[in-house]
Amino acid sequence: MKLSYLYEIVLFVLLILLQVLLLNRISLFGLATPVLYGYFLLKLPMGRNLFFVIISAFLMGLLIDIFLNTPGMNAAAFTIVAALRKPVMDLFFEKEEYDEFVPGIYTAAGPFVRFTILMVFMHLTLLFFIESFTLFNLMSTLLRIITSAVITIVLIITMDSLMYRRKPSEHT
Amino acid sequence: MRNLFNFIIRNSHWLVAILLVAFSFYLVFTHNSYQRSVYLTSANHLTGMFYTAADNITSFFFLKKSNQQLLERNAELEKELYALKADKDSVEVSDSGTLHAFFIDSLGTPQFDFIPAKVVNLSFSGVNNFITLNRGASNGIRPDMGVISQTGVVGVVSNVSPNFSVVIPVINPKFRLSARLKNSENYGSLSWDGKNIRTAQLRELPRHETFQEGDTVLTSFSRIFPKNLIIGYVSETGESGDDNFNTFNIHLATDFYTLQDVLVINDLFYEEQRELEEILQE
Repeated sequence: MKLSYLYEIVLFVLLILLQVLLLNRISLFGLATPVLYGYFLLKLPMGRNLFFVIISAFLMGLLIDIFLNTPGMNAAAFTIVAALRKPVMDLFFEKEEYDEFVPGIYTAAGPFVRFTILMVFMHLTLLFFIESFTLFNLMSTLLRIITSAVITIVLIITMDSLMYRRKPSEHT
Repeated sequence: MRNLFNFIIRNSHWLVAILLVAFSFYLVFTHNSYQRSVYLTSANHLTGMFYTAADNITSFFFLKKSNQQLLERNAELEKELYALKADKDSVEVSDSGTLHAFFIDSLGTPQFDFIPAKVVNLSFSGVNNFITLNRGASNGIRPDMGVISQTGVVGVVSNVSPNFSVVIPVINPKFRLSARLKNSENYGSLSWDGKNIRTAQLRELPRHETFQEGDTVLTSFSRIFPKNLIIGYVSETGESGDDNFNTFNIHLATDFYTLQDVLVINDLFYEEQRELEEILQE
């Protein structure tokens, strides 16, 4: 239990740094930017306290906003995604699997991939629409959402299969 | 009654989520770059430190290119210096008696001073592009100063903390600047449509304005930039919403992808000009 919290804090910090120092400087074809920090929500134990999930997501979004000079945008999008995390999980996983179970590509490949795809699309749709409230046309925003989401999903699945390759049973 | 309490307790996480989201949206809508708030932006000390540390590593990769640019710039300046020296000599020979006084008078105080700064962070992923510099108020930087690179205009300082400052670059939709083509005095408005980091748009130029591909675009009247700084080069005619005006796509002179060193322009007469102009507005 304690090890799990420590692991989550490390993941929290690393994902923020990865996002602001590296990923946000990437803009493939002037469109696609990987938004990988949502991985944090995917790797929380499924039965984790809902307040914990929502508040930690809000803090993560706010910290990223502070680094990127976009006050509120990432925080708003990520908090909404965190609140919708449980209903989305209910769609893909069996309820008996909850509690300390951490979804992953080696523990539940099919549901995890579907879970990832839906969460990433929700996150990026919210994020890019909030970001472009006043500006720019619908087509370019949609294109940015789709391209960014595809790259993000590929990166998340790759990362997950690399990180948990030898020890699929740990961190649960 | 108990059912009601249970209902509230069971769903109270939704309430928390709604409150936090409302707070976030409050931040989104109240924030704008002209509010000069430092705590929630990358001009604050902590984020500045992280960015400096990361930049110490990444700047190595651009050393060669920066060096090359410095050499080229140096050569250019040297050339100008010789030209000026030659000018001065030729005038001095013809009439050395009165010239001394003339030179002292005409040089006077220079209007512009340049503060060199390093880029510690660039954010170019989406719509809200900005640049963080490693110089701030303690180095004499204040909001509304212009920022240029070796090759052209970069942007305008928006937020300043003691040791860092945030710059709104040309490639931010909030950025506006009046600009003109080199061979004419009509000016238009420069802005960015959010599509390509290397291309900005010059709008509202009169229709009769002729141009050729590659024409130089310079700064026009501005409180922030000196006149005639290079912004970029005309690349093609863009879409225009109005029949009376032309829109051009401008290939920006500054390469934001590899931007490392910039100069912040300190206009020593800024206050004087501002005060004078404000008398009229009152």
